[in-house]
This record gives sequence, C-alpha cells and structure tokens, in this order.
Amino acid sequence: MSKYDAPGLEPYLALAAFGEGLEKWLATAPPCLAAAASPNPSFAARVEAMSQLMRSLWEEGWGRHGWPEAFGGLGGTILHRAAMWDSLARHGVRGMGLFEHVEILLPTLCGMAPREFMVGALPGFLSGRELWCQGFSEPEAGSDLASLRTRASAVPGGFAIRGRKIWTSWASYATWCLLLARTGTPESRHRGVTAFIVDLRSPGVHVNAIEQANGTDELAEVVFDDAFVPEDRVVGEIDGGWHVAMHILSSERGAFAWFRHCFLYQQLLSQLCHAEAHGDAAVGAALLDLAAVSATGYLGLHSHAASTPLGPRAAFTKLLLCEAERAVHDCILAGDPDLAAGVQDEETALVRQEYLFSRIVTVYGGSQQMQLETIAKQLLRLP
Amino acid sequence: MSGSEAEEAFLASAREAFRRDPGIGALDALGAWDLFGELADREARAATFAVFRAHGRELGRSAALCCLLAHPYTAGAGMAPGSCALAIPRRSTRRGEVFVLLGEPSAPNVLVDRPGVGASLVAFEDTALRPVAIPGRLPMHEITFDPGDAKALLSEERAKPARRQSTFFGRVAAAHELVGSAEGALDLALEHAATRVQFGKPIGSFQAVRHLLAWARTDCAAALEVSRLAAAQGLAAPSRFDEIAKALAGRNARRICERSLQVLGGIGFTAEQDHHHFHSRVLALDAVLGSSAELVCGLGAWLRESRTDPRIPMQLLQHGVGA
Repeated sequence: MSKYDAPGLEPYLALAAFGEGLEKWLATAPPCLAAAASPNPSFAARVEAMSQLMRSLWEEGWGRHGWPEAFGGLGGTILHRAAMWDSLARHGVRGMGLFEHVEILLPTLCGMAPREFMVGALPGFLSGRELWCQGFSEPEAGSDLASLRTRASAVPGGFAIRGRKIWTSWASYATWCLLLARTGTPESRHRGVTAFIVDLRSPGVHVNAIEQANGTDELAEVVFDDAFVPEDRVVGEIDGGWHVAMHILSSERGAFAWFRHCFLYQQLLSQLCHAEAHGDAAVGAALLDLAAVSATGYLGLHSHAASTPLGPRAAFTKLLLCEAERAVHDCILAGDPDLAAGVQDEETALVRQEYLFSRIVTVYGGSQQMQLETIAKQLLRLP
Repeated sequence: MSGSEAEEAFLASAREAFRRDPGIGALDALGAWDLFGELADREARAATFAVFRAHGRELGRSAALCCLLAHPYTAGAGMAPGSCALAIPRRSTRRGEVFVLLGEPSAPNVLVDRPGVGASLVAFEDTALRPVAIPGRLPMHEITFDPGDAKALLSEERAKPARRQSTFFGRVAAAHELVGSAEGALDLALEHAATRVQFGKPIGSFQAVRHLLAWARTDCAAALEVSRLAAAQGLAAPSRFDEIAKALAGRNARRICERSLQVLGGIGFTAEQDHHHFHSRVLALDAVLGSSAELVCGLGAWLRESRTDPRIPMQLLQHGVGA
C-alpha cells in the first residue's frame, strides 16, 4: 500500500513543493531510477525498467500529479508532468521510452474519451500496467492520413473493424489502441473518420512486430479482422475523429516536444567527456537548437495548461525539436567514432540505436515536409 | 488584455512611432527613456525590447542601442537615459580594436568602458567620427578621441556589475532588433511570393518556394521566442543566456535573409528593392556585441570545459513567460 492510499493525508502538492519533494525522493536513489538510467540495448528490458519506474512514481504520488481528480489523478496541470520528466532527465533517465504515449494520448483521452471508460482506468494507464498505441497510419495513408481505409461498420451493440494499420509505435507492448477508422463513405476524407478505443486483446486483432534498422521492435503492423468494438468506446463524435486526431497531433508536436528535449540536453551534456575543441562550434550550435525548443516548448506547455491549443504553431516546435535532435546526435557521433563502427558494448550499442533513430525523427508524427506545408498554408497563407 | 496582447499592441504603437520618426524622437514619443531605468521590472523589459524589435522592423535610425548600453554605467551618476551613448568596442581585422557608434549620434556624452581599467566619459564634441557604412539605413560611425579628454566615471570594481547589465540587456535588445529586421525581410519575400507569377501561377504555390518560406518563418519563431525568454528572465537568466539569445538571433536572422533573398530572386539584389536594407542591418547587428560565429564557438568551448548545465531552471515553469 502506498502512502497515498492512507486516509487523512493531504497529498496534492503545488508546483514548487512538488519539485522539491520529487528531488528529495530522487536523492534517495530509488532502485527503479538506477534501472531506468542504466544503458540497456534491449528494448524489452528498457520497457520493463520504465514500467517499474512508472509504477513507483505512481505509488509515491509523483505520477498522479497533473492528471484530473475525476479519473484518479491528484489535479494540477501539465506543468507538474513537465517538472517530473525534467527532474527524471536530470537524474539520468535516458528518455520516456514507450511511455511517451502517456503524454501524447492521455491528455486528449481525458478530455474526449467516454467518462465511464476513463473513471477508474487512468491509474492503470499511469502506473505502467496498461499501455497504449496510436492506430493512425496505413499502408496507403501516411502523410495523406485523410485517405485511410480501415472500416468501422455498425453491428448490433457496436462496430466491426476491418483493415490494416502500420508503423504503429509500441503496439506489441500495448493493451489499448486509439484507432482512426472510416465511418463515412470512402470519399468522405477527413469528414468521415471516427476515433475508437480498441482493446488489442479482442478476437480478430493481430499485432505483428516490425524489426527496425536500429535493432528495436518499437513499431508494428496491426491487422483488424472484424474486431468488435462496443458502442461506448467512441472518442468524441461519430465522424468527428479528425478533430480528435488533430488534438493529439497538436499535443505531440507542441507540448510533448518540450518533454523530449529535456532528454536531449542530458544526452548533449553526457557526451562532453568525448568532446574536443574542434567540435566546439557544433556543440554550441546544438545548444542554440535546444534553446529554441525550450522557448517554443514553453509556449506549448503554457497554452496546454491554459487549454488554448497551439494549433498549427505546434509545427514550429516539431521542426525545431527534429533539428535539435539531429544536431545533438551529430555531436555525439563526431565525438565517438565507435558508434559508426558499431562497437557492441552495452552503452555504445544503445547510443548507436539512439543515433540511428535521430535520422528518422523527421518522419514520424507528421513528416518534416508536412509540417512545412502546414506553416505555408495555415500560417503564411500562401496561395 | 493578456500579456501577449498588450505586448502586440505596444509593438504596433512602437512601429507607428518609428514610421513617423525613425530617429531618436520616436523614443521620446513612446516614453521609452523611462523604461531604461525600470529594467528590473518584467513588463518594462518586455516593452523596452519591443521598441528594439520595432526599430529593426521599421529600419529606425536612432542610437537607442548605444544609449541602452550606456545606461547601467551612468544611472548611478544621475545622468538621464539618452544623454550618453556607449562606444561599442569591435575588433577590426585590419585596424585592431575600434569603437563604433550605431545610429544617428544624439547623445552629448560618449561612454568608453575598458575591462580591467574602468569606464570613462568623453564629451561628444571632443570626439571625431568617421562614417563606415549605412547598413540598412542604420548609420554606423567609428569614433576616435584623445584619451586626455576622457574623464574617469567608474573604477573597474564599480564598472564590473554595470558591464554585466549593459552586456546582457544590450545583447537581448540587439537580438530583438535582429528579429525585427529579419521579419521585415521575410514580409517582403511573402508579398513577392503571393504576387509574382511564373508558369501561370504565383510562385508561392510552388512547394520549393513554400518550404523556403516556412523554414524562414520557423527560424523567426525560434529567434523571437528565445529572445522573449531572455527578456522575461532578465538578469536572473542562467549563465550565458544572453549569448545564446544573441547568437541564435544572429544566425537565424542571416538564414531568414538568405532564404528571403532566394525567393525574391534578382530583384532582391537591386538597390531599389528594400531587401538589402534589412539584410545589411542584420549583418551589422550580428557583427557587434559578439557575432553568432564567435559566440557559438565560445558557448561550445564553455560547455566542454566547464560542463555547466545550461538549462533554464524549472522554477521558471511556475511563473511562465507569457503566451
């Protein structure tokens, strides 16, 4: 039993006290922190270490801050969560790993998913017991997401899902999928799409992991063969899935970018032991790129906390995050040629995985070219 | 009215003031001199730096930056803001250390600060000015004087804290002016992209052109937000944050000008088109108070040698920087 299950405590901490309390707890060197901070090239082992960390954060109360009380959280805003991940990064945790989904999906689910589903379920999501994935991309619908074909047909009591999703991050480890499926005509584009909560344990769902070029299996193909979804698992409105998806993508590109950049600072600092004077300009340039994410990310966090989404301006932060991620890893590669040679001690193997991943960050969450189009069309109003 | 709306409204009035009078008179009209004495206050800082953004955007010709740089040295002596301009030291490849004044000279006194020695004052009438260029309608003069005419103002010990303030606020102001100038260049390119027709369509409908402009806009957003973050923190900012803001603004403003020029094509490289005013001003501002090239190398070396954590402290999250 954690201290938060004891009656009569006043558990919610305002941001300043929260930060101080968390620092004190981290200073006691809890074992879950050491495990999450140690370099382990096995993705499955990292999933396990991060799940343990999430469980401890939940039990100690830190992971409950910043989430709505109605669903089992302690209240507060995204700033609590930002403070938590920033502290964890400063204490050596290498990244959020597949718990990135917590920040990408759960804020939207808290606002738009059926209340009955969320009540009582959120603790399972936040404590690392039940993970999520995001079923958006399809073989014939990548950047052109509105052409997706996975079909949701009305059947008694719910919907039958039929189709195929691909590049679904974390699906092999997830229990739940936030799925976009077509409920309108094939020509309805973004107007005929609905967002569903799909239990990946349901009959008719098949998850096939995709081995990636950096040796991890973070991605998967998910096939839906008339999988049944009850009617009370619709997020938002029927045919209103595009709004849900845009909300998620705006969170991912705006506020969430700030979370990710905390770990990039840590990676830049930790590679300085290999740095030499001829690399000073590159390190300095990476520092500028990180400052750009910090500053635009603050806007994202504060807009999110004030419930005024950034909208298309989130594309700036996404582009800047990718620039920073590549710049930091350019420095890391320049400082340690063993990475290129593929030396297989545990730390080098992991850093090599991270380096290779930094070459593809401009593809996921909306490709770099789509972000530029968003800016050109919606902000610059070009013809 | 939210903080950001108030800032936008003030920026608009500052632009209007510089359109009416690109010289020092605009600062009188805006009541900006009083702000120089209130830089401990966050809103006063936001307003002050908006003046510099407007100065860049409207190609102002005032010596506001040199006056801002002088103020921390002279405030204790009871000198009014605007009555003294700092001679900015610059290392010339050909002539070694030179001092420059930016803007139309308007202050009766010139302040010279020599690290290790202290700060002294020279009457403007005792100096000799040599115009070096008018980059982007911003007059720039090299200034010389007889050291015998300089009167000591602050000992090295007392000059040190003033120097820190002067450098910090000067760099953040220059960063804002760089952003404003780059915004001017980008606006010209956007207008051109919407009206110039080739292959029967406005060139802004071609993806290659759209992406150039979208990158320029992204660089603008980054430079502006980092500059605003530096302004919001003031002297409480982490070590070298002024250098980060100035280097980023200089680097990005140059990139924005280059991309804008590419969109404008040949017309952008003519004297009749205004692009070169913004572009030259960006180059001049990048060259003083630490260029982006120097600062970036210096920041990298500092990080390598000191392993200092350059991040903004989490406490800032509690106060926010205004959306």
